Amino acid sequence: MADDTQRYDSSIRVQEAPFDAGVEQHALLAGRTDIGAVVCFTGLVRDFNERPEINALTLEHYPGMTESALATIVTEAEDRWALDGVRVIHRIGRLAPGDPIVLVAVASAHRRAAFEACDFIMDYLKTRAPFWKKEHAAEGDYWVSERHSDHQDASRWKA
Amino acid sequence: MSLTHLNARGEAHMVDVADKPESRREASASGRITMLPETLALIAEGGLPKGDVLATARIAGIQAAKRTHELIPLCHALALSKVAIDFSLNEAESSVEVTATCRLNGRTGVEMEALTAVSVACLTLYDMCKAVDKGMVIDAIRLDTKTGGKSGNYHRYGGVGETADMPVVTGAEGPIVTGQGHDGQVAVGSRCDIASPCIRVKCLAELRERLGVGEVSVPLSELEQHDVGGLKVALKALDPRLAGLDEGRVMCAVNQVMAGDHTPITDDDEVAFFPPVTGG
Repeated sequence: MADDTQRYDSSIRVQEAPFDAGVEQHALLAGRTDIGAVVCFTGLVRDFNERPEINALTLEHYPGMTESALATIVTEAEDRWALDGVRVIHRIGRLAPGDPIVLVAVASAHRRAAFEACDFIMDYLKTRAPFWKKEHAAEGDYWVSERHSDHQDASRWKA
Repeated sequence: MSLTHLNARGEAHMVDVADKPESRREASASGRITMLPETLALIAEGGLPKGDVLATARIAGIQAAKRTHELIPLCHALALSKVAIDFSLNEAESSVEVTATCRLNGRTGVEMEALTAVSVACLTLYDMCKAVDKGMVIDAIRLDTKTGGKSGNYHRYGGVGETADMPVVTGAEGPIVTGQGHDGQVAVGSRCDIASPCIRVKCLAELRERLGVGEVSVPLSELEQHDVGGLKVALKALDPRLAGLDEGRVMCAVNQVMAGDHTPITDDDEVAFFPPVTGG
């Protein structure tokens, strides 16, 4: 339980502020020489999605449930692969094209575990964590629809 | 603010909507017809000479919504995707409350259709009952909510469905949207805003905007069944806007854990309804 609390505080963050992937990766590796691989994924705001000419997007979430859903996903990744550290940061509020939205950094002794766990965490985050995107396009504002391909991606990990 | 149905010369004209983007439009209107208690009793027991009054008025309202453009000079003809008419018999006030909800994906709003549906449903109620009660009064016809489109969302408080003597759905403030950069963030942890045992219900993201409901408290006593399914039944009965909980894929969490229709709920639980997630 103590571990859970610590992970909750430091490794999983939902914030409006931007993040620096380099700083986060450095923090994940600090003082460690047993880690052989770190995979760092950053998701960015695109200027086209369901419609062209997206000027901005707003991310809403469900405070409280968001953090616990992310913690559950990370715990499941740690059960499946031998990991030496995980960091998940998701931004909320209004973002512009090119802005980083999400960071998933995974450290392990070997690259395969780090690649797969990072992929797994992103797939589950996209289908299970309570975030919603509203896109502000030239034609008007609209809420982004769920994507079938995201569910297909997540279903690859079913045991 | 200018009147869109008047042109630069002050003459009436139909607004050209060809270049407006399509969006999901919905409007709800309500109205009331007050009558003698005996007349209301006859409606309730189906004892009027012209037959099933409410069923007839419902069809009349739906037909009227579809033909609004024939009645109101500058209205466009719309291909409505949904028209729903509901009646609530109010014995205390000896009245029938009528609500109408119209929806479409299109370029113009549907508030005139909802208002026309309520008006004609009320007129049909009058026609069906006038043999026994000529003193009936039709009033309080008004727009309750309107969503979608450039002019933004509208929500009236204190409509027929939420008068003070129906302590059902309270705290229905507007969405907790705090402007640029905070759009759509919701607060959590608020207590029930009514004294009796109750459930705190939240609608999040697109669902909140579509239904026009952010947070409501529902007395536990309104639930016949103490689970999510029972809560949905109670919510739909208490607030017509929440009929939309059954449309599209709607997910649910009880106390911030994913839940289904059979998940039990109890006093002071927090139940959130939301659309499929789209983060990452």
